[in-house]
Amino acid sequence: MIKKILIANRGEIAVRIIKACREMGIATVAVYSEADRNGLHVQAADEAVGIGPAPAVDSYLNMDRIIQAAQQTKSEAIHPGYGFLAENADFVLKCEQAGLVFIGPNSQAMALVGDKIRSRQTMEAAGVPIIPGMKDTAKNPSEYVVEAERIGYPVMIKASAGGGGKGMRVVFSEEELRPALEAGMREAKAAFGNESVYLEKYIEEPRHVEFQVLADNHGHTIHLFERECSIQRRHQKIVEESPSQALDPELRAKMGKMACKVIQTAGYNNAGTVEFLLDKNKNFYFLEVNARLQVEHPVTELVTGIDLVHQQIRIASGEKLAIRQEELRQQGHAIECRIYAEDPMNNFLPSSGKILYLKEPSGPGIRHDCGVYSGWDVPIFYDPILAKLIVWSKNKESACDRMMQALNDYVILGIKTCIDFLKDVINHPQFRKGQTTTDFIDLYLSEWQPPEKSEELKDIALLAAAFDSRQSGFAADTANFSDQRIPSPWILLGKWRIGGGE
Amino acid sequence: MDYEFKLDGVPRTITLEKQENRYVISCDERTYDADIRFLDKNVLSILIGDKSFLAYIAPNGPDRIIWISGHSFSVQEPADDRADYQGSDQQSQEDMLFVKAPMPGKVIKINVKEQEKVRKNQTLAIVEAMKMENEIKSSFDGRVKKIFVSNGDLVDSDKPLIELENEAKPEPEDS
Repeated sequence: MIKKILIANRGEIAVRIIKACREMGIATVAVYSEADRNGLHVQAADEAVGIGPAPAVDSYLNMDRIIQAAQQTKSEAIHPGYGFLAENADFVLKCEQAGLVFIGPNSQAMALVGDKIRSRQTMEAAGVPIIPGMKDTAKNPSEYVVEAERIGYPVMIKASAGGGGKGMRVVFSEEELRPALEAGMREAKAAFGNESVYLEKYIEEPRHVEFQVLADNHGHTIHLFERECSIQRRHQKIVEESPSQALDPELRAKMGKMACKVIQTAGYNNAGTVEFLLDKNKNFYFLEVNARLQVEHPVTELVTGIDLVHQQIRIASGEKLAIRQEELRQQGHAIECRIYAEDPMNNFLPSSGKILYLKEPSGPGIRHDCGVYSGWDVPIFYDPILAKLIVWSKNKESACDRMMQALNDYVILGIKTCIDFLKDVINHPQFRKGQTTTDFIDLYLSEWQPPEKSEELKDIALLAAAFDSRQSGFAADTANFSDQRIPSPWILLGKWRIGGGE
Repeated sequence: MDYEFKLDGVPRTITLEKQENRYVISCDERTYDADIRFLDKNVLSILIGDKSFLAYIAPNGPDRIIWISGHSFSVQEPADDRADYQGSDQQSQEDMLFVKAPMPGKVIKINVKEQEKVRKNQTLAIVEAMKMENEIKSSFDGRVKKIFVSNGDLVDSDKPLIELENEAKPEPEDS
C-alpha cells in the first residue's frame, strides 16, 4: 500500500481526499498557491508545500513544481483530484518518468480519452453508439459552416481538450456560428491552453446520464451504476442524483455493460466516468470519458456504500478489485447540490469575497464536503465551488425533503451563493417527478426570482438588528465588545470563594 | 428607543424597549413581546410567545447581514438620512450610466466603440473571471460616451468599464 500521497488540488476535493487518506493511515501533503495559504486543505494535511503565485498556471498547473514538491516530501503518489492537472496526459507521463504513482489512469488511456475526437472514432469503431458530428477540428471558419450544414442545426461547439462547459456553445443558425466559434475558441484557449473545437449535433431535450466505472490493473472492470446530471446551468452540472428515474433495470444493465466496454476499449484503469446522452426515446449516445474522480462522486458512494477514493488508492497500489459486479446494489436515493459562489439573479456570475459566517447543515443522511470556513476569503482565481451538499434517503421523494431541510439549514453569510436557487430546483414538481432534461433550468427557472420574505420574518430581522445595535451601543462604552455580549459565567455567579461555604 | 434601518434597501423604523427581562418591539402597527439572547457573537435566540427563531448576524462593514429561517436580509444603518437618500438617487443614475465590472476579472473584448449607438441588452464587453466568460450588457438604449479599459486589462469589481449617455440629451430645466 502507498504510504504518502501528495494531493495536487485545493478546496473541497483536496480536503475530501485527505480525509480518505487519513482513514487508510496514509500521510498527506497539500500544495498551495499564494492565494491559498489559509486554505482549508492546507490546514487538513500533514504537510503543505507552497508552489507559487495565485494564478493557476503558475501554481496548480505547474507540473514541474508539483513533481518537485512530491519528491522533496518523499511522497510516493500524486492524487490530482478534478480539474487542474487531473486529465493532463503529459502530467501523467511526467509522474511515471519521475517514479511517482499517478492516482488515475495510465498516460496512454488518458491521452486517448482526453482527445474527444480520437476517442469517439475509437468507440465508434468498437460499436459504441455516438452522436453525429465532425470527425476532426476544422482549419478555418468556412469549413465549420459546411460541417454545420451537413450535421444540421442546431449544432453544439465543443472544446477538443475540455470539459466543465468551458468553450461550449449551442448554435441555431449560420449567422450565430462565427461569433460563437470565436468565443468558444477563446474560452477553450484560456481554460485548456488549446483552442481547438469541433461541432456535433445538438440533441434537444436530452438527459445526461453517466456511469461510474472502476478498473484495476489486472483486467477487472465493474460499474457502480449511473448518476443523472441533467440539471445544468451554463452547461455545468449543479444537481446530480442516483438512480436516474429514466432508467429501468434492463436499460441500466445495458448501459452499464456499454460503459465497461468503453473503459476496456480505451485500456483504461482506475476510476473513471462514462458519460452518455439519453434521448426522449431512450436511445443513448456515448459522449466522453471523464478520466478522473468526478465532482459528483459522493452520490455513487451513498447509494453503493463504496468509498471511491479508497478504491482509487487501492487500485493505484496494485491491488485487485475486491468487489464483484453481481454483489453491487444501488440502494435508496442520493442527491447532490453543488454550492457555488455565484449570483443566480445575475446569470450565475461568479462572486468572491469573505465568508463572514458559516454553519453547515447536519443530521441523518446528510453529508457536506466542504472546502471553506468562516473567515475564509474566496479567491477569484479558481472555480467558484465552495462545497457540496449530499443527502441520502430511501427514495427520491424523501431525499428531496431531506435536501430541502438541509438547504434551509445552510447558513453562509457574506458571499452570494446559489442556495436559494437550488431550493427551487429541488422543490420543483418536474424535478420531483423525474422530468429532468438538460434544458430544465431554461424551461422552468429562466425567470427565477429570489423567494418572497414574509412580513413576520422582516420584523424579526429588524428586531435582531435593533437588539444587536443596542448591545453594541452598550459595548462601545466598555472595553471589550464581544465579551460584553456573552455574559461571563463569573459575573453571573456573583461573589464566591474557592472552598467557600464559610 | 427608536431604530432606523434600511431592510433590503427599504427604510423601516422599529421601537425596542426593555421591560425587565423581556423586550417589547413595535414596527408599523405590530407589537411583539420577545425574549432575546445572544448564544454567541453571531447567533441570537429569539422567543416570541411560544415561537422560537434563530437569527445569525454578521457585520459587513457598516451594515449587517442577518439570516433567519433560510432567508437572508441586508440591514443598513442610514447615516445622515436625507443627504444619503438624495445621494443614492444620484448614485443609481450614475450606476446606469457607468457600466461597471460585476466582479474582478480580465477584459477579454470590448465590443463597442466610442460614440457608437447601443441597444438595450446589447453586449458591450466580455469579462473573464474564474475561467468563465461573462457578457456585460447595456441596460438601456443609448450611446457610448467613453471607454475606460482595453483588451487584456485586469479590473476590480465596480471598476467603470464604459460610460454611456442617454440618446436624447436631457432638456434644459427651464424649457
